Amino acid sequence: MPHQFSYDLVVIGSGPAGATTARIAAQLGCTVLLVDKRQELGAPIQCSGAVSRHALEEVGLPIADEYIQEPIYGFAIYNQDGQRTTIDYRRLKPGEYGPGAGQKPLGYVVDRRRFDRYLMTLAERAGAEVWLKTEGLGYEKDGEGGCLVRLRRYNQDIQVKAKALVGADGLQSQVGRWAGLRTHIKLNELASCLQFVVDGVPSEGLLEIITGHQWAPGGYAWVFPKGHGYAEIGLGVARTMTESHQNAQWFLGQFMKSSFFQERFADARILEVQGGGVPLAAPLRKQYADYLILVGDAARHVNPITGGGIHTALSGGKIPATFLCQLIQSGQPAHEQALKGYQDAWLEQLGHKMWKLYEEKSSIFREADIPLRDERLYRTMSDYFSPNSEYKKI
Amino acid sequence: MPKPAPVIFDIGWNACINCGACVAVCPQEAGFISPFDTIATDRPCDIACMICEDICPVTTITHRPAEPAAQPA
Ligand SMILES: Cc1cc2nc3c(=O)[nH]c(=O)nc-3n(C[C@H](O)[C@H](O)[C@H](O)COP(=O)(O)OP(=O)(O)OC[C@H]3O[C@@H](n4cnc5c(N)ncnc54)[C@H](O)[C@@H]3O)c2cc1C
Ligand code: SF4
Repeated sequence: MPHQFSYDLVVIGSGPAGATTARIAAQLGCTVLLVDKRQELGAPIQCSGAVSRHALEEVGLPIADEYIQEPIYGFAIYNQDGQRTTIDYRRLKPGEYGPGAGQKPLGYVVDRRRFDRYLMTLAERAGAEVWLKTEGLGYEKDGEGGCLVRLRRYNQDIQVKAKALVGADGLQSQVGRWAGLRTHIKLNELASCLQFVVDGVPSEGLLEIITGHQWAPGGYAWVFPKGHGYAEIGLGVARTMTESHQNAQWFLGQFMKSSFFQERFADARILEVQGGGVPLAAPLRKQYADYLILVGDAARHVNPITGGGIHTALSGGKIPATFLCQLIQSGQPAHEQALKGYQDAWLEQLGHKMWKLYEEKSSIFREADIPLRDERLYRTMSDYFSPNSEYKKI
Repeated sequence: MPKPAPVIFDIGWNACINCGACVAVCPQEAGFISPFDTIATDRPCDIACMICEDICPVTTITHRPAEPAAQPA
């Protein structure tokens, strides 16, 4: 039966991972349908928006005012008592980093609503077809070397034929589950997060990270500049390390009222409430099935030390786009055996490093002695962001 | 261990921030979700591990027995 809609690739989810996969695949000459169930991408926001400049440049993204809220020049890592390690690239490498002419920022805090819309726009301009208000519901093999993807768009059920399906549907991913992949995250490996965008809290162009079991057991707290004089204050906790009444909201209250920052936060006025889950987990062991691959949060491509997932979603989108286009253009069906090559390429370029970080993170949180664990987390975070870190580029 | 009795989840929508964390930890098969990015609230859960209630950053998930009549008094 001929199908009204037929594409090389159908991508479910237009976050950083899906939109990047779609854009690069379209640039490489594949026909692409990118769908997202939302009416406005990025909303409600579930992200603090910190991303390195390198991560944007690596996937060919123009640095644009449209999505930038504030430039970032470095980090400040705090221990439980408020002692800090400052890694300010404006001082470390003044010839390169700074706000002046000929200098540049280390990274940015972006507005995920504008950032995700911008990424989608670029995918569309590269030739991808984009449908919003379109939810992916399932897929099956079509018996002709491809698959049929079931979508619902403004209440209308639509079937689309595809040579391969990309699940970029984020933390709450269902696409992997369609193929029977076990994608759920263990409770001790998902940080439960809450953050406020606030007025009245000064910041200094640095990403501030506050460690310590007292403030954020199994995770950390943060204060990021948010542009226009605003800041974001948030934290993530491992619920296996807290009492049952102590949720992320409870810890954020404690952190704002009774930490060494209580005076700094005294005039904080809450402008937005955001939250979510950050997988401090290992990447999925199997990220593919017949005609299907997973990218971004859906494949748990998140840095398990920092919880950062934008960079890994962007670069994790480039890898499958290149792989799938080559496969499809060579006329081969996207069978499971062939798609293993995608995962191997991903492991090679990103995954092995993420596994190493995961092991490091696990060993810190396995430490039973709390002061010792706090000390190790503080030291690891400080090393991680130092200019000499071997992980600087993820 | 005895198999836990099935439950129906209830979400306090006033506090929910639609973050999907409850779905991410849920061991159910595909489709156990609501239109608001939470776990399903319109049918029983027969696993009843309750970890969705733990992960919720604002603790807005509760549950009741799926078949109140079948519960011992
Ligand atoms: C509180 C918090 C703070 C964070 N801060 C940072 C940070 O500062 N820096 C950083 O790098 N990372 C941060 N992260 C992590 C980062 O947000 C994620 O790793 C990143 O968004 C992953 O991108 P993605 O494209 O994989 O998924 P997402 O951005 O989640 O995109 C998934 C998309 O899929 C769509 N979708 C889902 N299901 C369907 C369906 N069935 N049909 C159609 N569409 C569907 C969704 O609507 C969504 O648009 C943070 C996360 C949290 C929770
Ligand atoms: S974890 Fe809680 S706040 Fe997040 S979507 Fe589920 S019920 Fe809502």
